[in-house]
Amino acid sequence: MNRKTRQTLTAYSFLSPALIFYAIVLIFPLGFSAYLAFHRWNMLTPPGSAPAVGLSHFTYLLTLDDLFRAALRNTVIFALGTVAAGMLLALLVALAINRMKSAPLWRFLFFVPMVITPVAIGIVWKYLYEPAYGLINSGLRLLHVPAQSWLSSAEQALPAIMLVAIWANLGGMIIVFEAGLKNIPAMYFDQARLDGANHWQQFRHVTLPLLKPTIAFLSITGLISAWQVFDLVFVMTRGATIAGGAAGSAPLESTIVVALHIYQTAFEYLRMGRASAMAFILFFVILTVTLLLLRLLRKGGIEET
Amino acid sequence: MKYAALSLGALLIVTPMLWLLVSSLKTTPEIIARPPVWLPGVPQWRNYLRVFAEIPMLGYYLNSFLVAGSVSLFVLFTSSLSGYALSKFKFPGRELIFKGILATMMIPSLLFIIPMYYLMLRVPLAGGNDFAGLGGSGFLHSHLSLIFPFVVSAWGIFLLRQFFMSVPDDLLSAARIDGCSEFRIYLQVALPHAKPALATLAIFTFVGQWNSFLWPLVITTSAPELTTVPVGLQMLQVAFNPSINLHLIFAGIVLGTVPAVILFLLLQRYYVQGITLTGLKE
Repeated sequence: MNRKTRQTLTAYSFLSPALIFYAIVLIFPLGFSAYLAFHRWNMLTPPGSAPAVGLSHFTYLLTLDDLFRAALRNTVIFALGTVAAGMLLALLVALAINRMKSAPLWRFLFFVPMVITPVAIGIVWKYLYEPAYGLINSGLRLLHVPAQSWLSSAEQALPAIMLVAIWANLGGMIIVFEAGLKNIPAMYFDQARLDGANHWQQFRHVTLPLLKPTIAFLSITGLISAWQVFDLVFVMTRGATIAGGAAGSAPLESTIVVALHIYQTAFEYLRMGRASAMAFILFFVILTVTLLLLRLLRKGGIEET
Repeated sequence: MKYAALSLGALLIVTPMLWLLVSSLKTTPEIIARPPVWLPGVPQWRNYLRVFAEIPMLGYYLNSFLVAGSVSLFVLFTSSLSGYALSKFKFPGRELIFKGILATMMIPSLLFIIPMYYLMLRVPLAGGNDFAGLGGSGFLHSHLSLIFPFVVSAWGIFLLRQFFMSVPDDLLSAARIDGCSEFRIYLQVALPHAKPALATLAIFTFVGQWNSFLWPLVITTSAPELTTVPVGLQMLQVAFNPSINLHLIFAGIVLGTVPAVILFLLLQRYYVQGITLTGLKE
């Protein structure tokens, strides 16, 4: 056996645990989901005998299911809004604390929410938003701003949840931006200053272009997870009504997201086929947007990984 | 100016957490008082004891520790082996496998929950199932249902591949000349070298699993004995009538959050390292 064959064999034997598990927890579920998306099945009967329904799940979802359309719209608003606003804020903080002596302290303070269970975050903010005694409205009253109904309002509920998501994820983005800023060689700035560039011009023509890989990474990974948001929405819009809260909750279609719709369709209404079709539509959205971003931000470094 | 803006930002970040901590020591009337009462008249430390007395909090802890710990061990094993192979060997199919693994990160986890649930139900010869996987409940009433779907991690393989790329080949060649087997080189040369990356992966996986909600929610609906901390926290709102027991809900949230926060406080630098290692290098 020559050296090359031996290396190949060794490599594949090292990879085999991961590849075998991938076959079970990835390839099989993908195939099974694809099968289900074209069948009607409730998990209680043998899947082999499930009636085939062709494309009807997809046509139903895209033309008749108003709740699914609302979920898609809310998910798009949530994903684009939280990632864009989060990145902007994180960049501002990272620029401010970059090369600061007290940077570790700031970084720490902003990062803490990242390790807290989203479920806990959701419950705590639900009470912060409570219209009657919640801390946020108490604060607004101090500033002589009228109290808002937040999670019980059809218009404010989704933005209120988005605010929490931004709050929770800011710390991670700050760290990535900080590392990106540190990677920019100081001589570029020296040169720009020699050429008479002011702060804004330095930012616009040195910092921003050289941060492109960082921006690509953050927007791609941020969006991939934001498309799938579930925990926060589930916790903040469902469950027991809150203590002393007179106001009801906002209508379902104002906050529902795709993941929540899939969960309910599958595990509350046992419509496994329709839920699988929804998951494929979500997959298609993620795939399209990710590839689009990769193309848009090409030479950003990410595609070489 | 800069400090003022930063301080305001940090204040907005920290206030909800401080409010949670303080509220967990109040009585419910103090929490819902208008205008707000900032500090509890008498700190109610017994709120914490009552949480343990009235809900199976210890059981939630145990389930979460068992699941998060086991998943972390499996992920360390599969990721280090694969990351090592993908960075230190040249072989046909390497790029394809690596790109394929990266591409899996785009697949929404929601696509897996239904097939995975069915798979767990139909594991042959487990939980009363026969050889064809019929008749019983499979893994559904076992911690394995919470562990098994997460034993490989694309992010973990990526992280360790990135790390092993920076380990000099000379180090490995030297061991090879000494006649070590490839597995021993991995175990005794490469792995010890990768300790910081392994620590990073371990803590990320552990905290990620500790906080994970959707899959445990699906599983524990039919198997309440497997309830993990996040699902338990969500159920607190049902277990305790919030209009009289809000203080217990907050005490429960603090208790459920503390382990991950402590881990973070102890291992902060590995966090930063993990985020920058996967975020920036090619």
